[in-house]
Amino acid sequence: MIIDPQLGSFFTAGALIIIGLFAALFIDNLIKKVIGLLFIADGVNLFIVTMGYKAGGIVYVFLPGMTVDWFAQNASYPLPFALVLTSIVIGASTLAVMLSLIIILYKKHGSIKASKILGEKGNQTQSKTPGDKI
Amino acid sequence: MNPLIPLMVIIPIACALILNLFHTKDRTVKIIAIIIAIILPSIPLFTNYGYHYFGGYAPLIENPALAQGLPVSITASALNVFHPAITYYFGSAQQIFMVVLGIIAFLAILTSLSETRKPSGVYAFLMFMGVASMSAIILTDDIFNLYVFFEIIAVTQVGIVVASKVKGNMETALKYMIIGSIASPLLLLGVALLLGVTGNVNITDIIYSIKTGLVNPQSPVLLMACGLIIFGWLYAAGLPPFHTIKSEIYSRALPHGAALLQAFSVFTLVAIGLIIIKIFAFFPFANVFIVGISVIAMILSITMALMQTDFKRIIGFLAVGELGYIGIGLGLGTAASITAGLFQAINEAIITAFLFIGFGTILYKTRESDIRKLGGIMVEMPKVTLLVLLSGLAMAGVPPLNAFQSKLMLIQSSLSAGVPELGIIMILLSIVTFMTFMKAFYAIYMRPKPSTLKIIDSNIPKATIFSLVVFLILCIILGLFPQIATSYLQPLANSLI
Amino acid sequence: MIEYILMIVAVLGAVIALTQRDLLKTAILTGIPGAAIAFLFQFLLAPDVALTQAIVGTAIVPVFFALAVKKTLRMEEE
Repeated sequence: MIIDPQLGSFFTAGALIIIGLFAALFIDNLIKKVIGLLFIADGVNLFIVTMGYKAGGIVYVFLPGMTVDWFAQNASYPLPFALVLTSIVIGASTLAVMLSLIIILYKKHGSIKASKILGEKGNQTQSKTPGDKI
Repeated sequence: MNPLIPLMVIIPIACALILNLFHTKDRTVKIIAIIIAIILPSIPLFTNYGYHYFGGYAPLIENPALAQGLPVSITASALNVFHPAITYYFGSAQQIFMVVLGIIAFLAILTSLSETRKPSGVYAFLMFMGVASMSAIILTDDIFNLYVFFEIIAVTQVGIVVASKVKGNMETALKYMIIGSIASPLLLLGVALLLGVTGNVNITDIIYSIKTGLVNPQSPVLLMACGLIIFGWLYAAGLPPFHTIKSEIYSRALPHGAALLQAFSVFTLVAIGLIIIKIFAFFPFANVFIVGISVIAMILSITMALMQTDFKRIIGFLAVGELGYIGIGLGLGTAASITAGLFQAINEAIITAFLFIGFGTILYKTRESDIRKLGGIMVEMPKVTLLVLLSGLAMAGVPPLNAFQSKLMLIQSSLSAGVPELGIIMILLSIVTFMTFMKAFYAIYMRPKPSTLKIIDSNIPKATIFSLVVFLILCIILGLFPQIATSYLQPLANSLI
Repeated sequence: MIEYILMIVAVLGAVIALTQRDLLKTAILTGIPGAAIAFLFQFLLAPDVALTQAIVGTAIVPVFFALAVKKTLRMEEE
């Protein structure tokens, strides 16, 4: 193969983050926006795991018969993996909160378009007459 | 080893969970919440300074018994001084931050318990959860631990907004959460890049690696990590471009909730700002960027405050604008300016909470927050009016009160750092701040009462008055004896230079 | 070889999921990048993360989305 799998994995992570950012910023549908956020989180997780990977290495389990030096040179780096476990769970739970907020707002507005739900309120709060006499 | 350090995080979390068990039992919830809220500011007073290693894994250099059996490749290298465990550091600056956070949390919780009809429910739970994660952000020396609590505090803030029955709160909450869900993975990416370069998530170890040349400090990856962490910092603190959403969050929460939320922003700004300065101070533009964004924050939010007609939005924007002073103090990078910035952070957390709870009494009496429909409240409650006026004077920096001392120190340090322009900007903006405050104050309190305004016939709870008086006393004490605070902050500022 | 296919599947799956007009299809298709990433984790020597991601990314998250779609609108509005 032309490119190294680690490099390819970094590119995949980058592509996912960019797709996610695009969806989160430019798609008007709230559910698709949230899916975009999920892809950003997935991309970052993939990025972190890829950092811990060691080409031709072994899984980070210290089996009997290994020496510390050999293990340190051949095992993948487990610290990023431990971080990703936390990050996956946090991502899923914030997702659940956002989706429940969307359901509540759908009942109120009858729509899941971001421009309708999030834009309208901005107009409401901004006063029409800025230099109001008091 | 100090067992009291983790308790500062564990007690509020445990209390939050216990409060859930007693759902619908209002009296029990009230008693437990108040007892724990009193304990919160008192734990840091009795805690000795030091490190706490979770799981007891001290660095090998402090633990010779463990180091004996290990090969030389570990004990002779930098691994010997690295921190293997999640580390919490508690020093004199952390002590005063924790005490101030505890006092604000206590007063906000006390006010919320007396002003809301049903104290049991998620509101108190979220407040305690927020205090716990804020304590962890202040104490932690581990950048991934910081990220975890950064996420928890973002969800907590959203929860506090959702739980308060204010018009338009759900929309704002969703908006804040979507922006947060972009910002936090990017912060995590920054943390990941730092981890990738240095192989470490402990802040002390990262600084050690960069200082001793284990890592190339000019690496472009570090630069990108700096950018991403600064992005997360801007989001968490509510500096531009996030000042609009942050002030909207304050205005959609109940006043006591907003008082706590702004304390969270102030302390997050300080905690993550200090980390950025510690790790990335060798990039010359990092400090310039912090100063620049702070000046923009001050100018943008104070001018936007002038144009608002909702008093909650006005205070929200003023609160964000005041953050700029802290940023300037941190960004100037001299020992005096960092001390002044940290002192300003403490003052601002107190004063803005004072303002939010003070103006909250109007909401309690009239259920109205549009200043065009308000007027003549002074006749209804003269004592509270005086307290609110004093809080505005404190924010503007009038001599016997605390912000005067910190703003004076900031201006002096900007002069001695050779940038008098910043001093001039700070003086001008504090005049505009006072003007904005007086405009709102006049409209609400002193103008004749409009005939359409209905005033609810119920007395302001004693707890609210008590909170306001405590805030005023704190302002006066810190204003007369600033060395109480600065003597605690000085060691941290000196260690950063 | 398989890892390159997985990388392409992850990116393509993400794009395809976002271009559907039927939101229920979007919700189900979200599982494809999730599963591809889970296999990729296994390949990158992180079996424990792969297990978590397999459960969260391919089962829990698409179900969340499907439930949200069921409670709101099935088709994307114009």
